[in-house]
Amino acid sequence: MDRYLEPHQARRHEPTQYESLLGDAIERAYAAGTHDLAGLVAYLNRTGPGPQDGEVWTEEIYKAQIAKLAEE
Amino acid sequence: MTTQQPILTADAILERGLKNLWYPICPSHMVGREPVSLRRLGKKLVFWRDHDNQVHALDDHCPHRGAPLSKGIVMGDRIACGYHGVQVRCDGTVTRVPGSPGCKLEGSRPTQAYHIVERNDAIWLYNATGNIDTPPPLVLPDELDADGEFSSFLCYTEWKGDYRYVLDNVMDPMHGTYLHKQSHSMAEGDNTAAFRIRDTDRGFIFEKEGQRDVNFDWTEWADTGTHWMRLEIPYPKTGGPGGNFVIVGSYTPISPTLAAVFHWRCRKLDGWQRDTWRFLYRNRLEARHWAVLEQDRVMLEDMEADANQNEHLYQHDMGIVRLRRHLKNLAKAELERMQQGKA
Repeated sequence: MDRYLEPHQARRHEPTQYESLLGDAIERAYAAGTHDLAGLVAYLNRTGPGPQDGEVWTEEIYKAQIAKLAEE
Repeated sequence: MTTQQPILTADAILERGLKNLWYPICPSHMVGREPVSLRRLGKKLVFWRDHDNQVHALDDHCPHRGAPLSKGIVMGDRIACGYHGVQVRCDGTVTRVPGSPGCKLEGSRPTQAYHIVERNDAIWLYNATGNIDTPPPLVLPDELDADGEFSSFLCYTEWKGDYRYVLDNVMDPMHGTYLHKQSHSMAEGDNTAAFRIRDTDRGFIFEKEGQRDVNFDWTEWADTGTHWMRLEIPYPKTGGPGGNFVIVGSYTPISPTLAAVFHWRCRKLDGWQRDTWRFLYRNRLEARHWAVLEQDRVMLEDMEADANQNEHLYQHDMGIVRLRRHLKNLAKAELERMQQGKA
């Protein structure tokens, strides 16, 4: 390459299957107009995927997990 | 030996970039402990980090015979030229000529050094006309304020062609409706528009009349010690809460045929909303934004180098005309200062 053209500059690793499933679900919730945390958590509990830590999503679990995923 | 000095014109000044401004040079990760040679702003420059992680920059030209300092050895705040071991400090002073101790070169300051700051994942260089002790502050828009309300990611690319074509492209909001029609965020809005120019205290805004927050509807150009541009694009509902997507751009000439293109993609978010956007950006949005930017790159790289000499501009191009005129006036003023020996 004779010039810098790197499409992925923010990623630190290839997306995992879990991350992509979660991304799909969040986008579907957003697309349906669910833009509040309680609504998003309820949506994820209805459609999955579940949280990586814990049985069901709670607002606290979502906040902790997404903060981690945001920087991974 | 003497070198013939080419006759300088305002256009030639713009081609290599105006002096006495801050310019983004490269993403921070491109410079480490080993010296790196980068061509920017009509010059070949060497960059390296010292043990405190501070980045230094000098002309990549040994004052002895012009060998690239970037082929030398870093010694903290100095580089020893690989050719004859001449040591040049980060302020441009020759500290040692090992082959001829005590010679006149020792203690002189023949090399231009550049002030560097790191902000928003990029290395910024103050393009002074000579060695200066203190540069003016680098002032960036609120979106890039480290303690501010915005979250951002840098996207750095290199595009073939003169960097001024990139400026023209950003100062042309109407192309979003056509070139980016098939994108995740620019399918909306009228495909005709009237534009107006609104002055600000740091530049001007070129905007559509009667359409806001629908498509790529306005561009701001500003000079705050560095030249930057700013625009907003509404996110689709899938982008979640947080309002418009903001892009801050700044563009640096590498050579007349290559431009360093910096876009900071920003959103005003905090808490879980910010984290969710950052997660989605890394997982999928970055790829979508990349696809849009590639549409610009392909179009610009396929333009002839002299495309701007054969134009028929219309009302949508008022912003381009205004920006070109402004930059030309800045270049003329720089030329006059040079001719008066005050550059």
